[in-house]
Amino acid sequence: MAARLVRRVVRSAGLERSLVLVCPVSRTYGSVAARAPQMAPAKEVQADDEKILTEPLKHSDFFHLAELFTLKDLFDARVHLGHKRGCRHRLMEPYLYGCRLEQDILDLERTVEHLQVALNFTAHVAYRGGIILFVSRNRQHAHLVESTARACGEYAHTRYWHGGLLTNGHVQYGLGTRLPDLLVFFSTLNTVFQQHVAIRDAAKMNIPTVGIVDSDCNPSLVTYPVPGNDDSPAALELYCRLFRLTVNRAKDKRRQVELLYQLKGKDEARQ
Amino acid sequence: MAALYKAMPVRFEAGRSSLRPFLLSFRRLCSSGVSEEPGPGQTAEAVQSEERKPSGFAAAFELHRDLQQKQKPSVKTRESFASLLRRSPLVQMGPAKDKIVLGKIFHVVEDDLYIDFGGKFHCVCKRPAGEPEKYQRGVRVRLRLLDLELTSRFLGAHTDTTLLEADAVLLGLVESGDPKAKEQS
Repeated sequence: MAARLVRRVVRSAGLERSLVLVCPVSRTYGSVAARAPQMAPAKEVQADDEKILTEPLKHSDFFHLAELFTLKDLFDARVHLGHKRGCRHRLMEPYLYGCRLEQDILDLERTVEHLQVALNFTAHVAYRGGIILFVSRNRQHAHLVESTARACGEYAHTRYWHGGLLTNGHVQYGLGTRLPDLLVFFSTLNTVFQQHVAIRDAAKMNIPTVGIVDSDCNPSLVTYPVPGNDDSPAALELYCRLFRLTVNRAKDKRRQVELLYQLKGKDEARQ
Repeated sequence: MAALYKAMPVRFEAGRSSLRPFLLSFRRLCSSGVSEEPGPGQTAEAVQSEERKPSGFAAAFELHRDLQQKQKPSVKTRESFASLLRRSPLVQMGPAKDKIVLGKIFHVVEDDLYIDFGGKFHCVCKRPAGEPEKYQRGVRVRLRLLDLELTSRFLGAHTDTTLLEADAVLLGLVESGDPKAKEQS
């Protein structure tokens, strides 16, 4: 009873994220952080917790993200336009529809599938209270990415990436720093057309990545690559809108489900 | 050659819509001639109108109108990427060299105008000497495209170096009521 009360207080006060777990392990998982380690949880509460976390995994599109965009929306936002043939990365060839007058065209049928999977994964991470970091080194869209992160209550990094941010975090920022649970790249290249350091570092730290890969990017280390244009402002605005809607939708759903279980618990306690 | 190109996309894009005013006017002509549902006291006229069956273009028009009415509920069918691409202005335009397009200025830095014309990249043009105060953000301009993306392979590099910009020559402002210049989506 006391454990249930404490857990409800912790959750409602939004204290999940601020719980700093003092442990030498480099990374903590979002779902583990929700549990206070000292209490022995009551059995019904544990079953409720598990149900909240496992129920969404049984559906292929629990958050109905397929209705957020259509192929026509991607087309109108110029997502299918790639760079010139000379800039093409060899590993992007499976995602190309073809090359028209020296300009690569990305296959939007494939992009739609990849984008749905990526958004679904992002939604599940947000649902479980994970920290999402939006990364882009494209100076033209830095403000847009930052305001997107602010709008959905997550984080953004659009400046110079200092080397040990992920790999040396516990030395640079103190013991027990919580690292992001997901990295979303709106552009996987940095200002000198090399792959962003964070892609390699996230792979080293077992942090999943979602990345918009253009025809000149290397998609191999990105966990959920989304082949698409990363240079046009129209395309970036579409991606930012989609990710913002996804994260907000997932967080709202979590609050809704918890409220539902709280009410159910109250009813049962009354009976 | 340029004149031929300019005429072509207008005709291609118009498609069904250009036929519509013509069909509507024809419908008005038809309705005056052919009668509607025959009333109880108009049997003779009804018989006459039934005997006078439409032929030639009139028959084709009736068929087309029925088909259009049947097609209206099923607008939800998704257009494939291949057909979207084939009908897009970028593909219909062909090679970008010396094509006239409309653009919109979205950013101004002193004398540099950043103009978006619907391609992957924008182009940057110098503000022209005559009427410089007219070129502000949001103004529509005419451009002659030279290249959609400025790239080049330098010695010793294994991939092209790109400037992330298109190349175009600024021709001037868009005069309102100019039907000839083509606009990209």
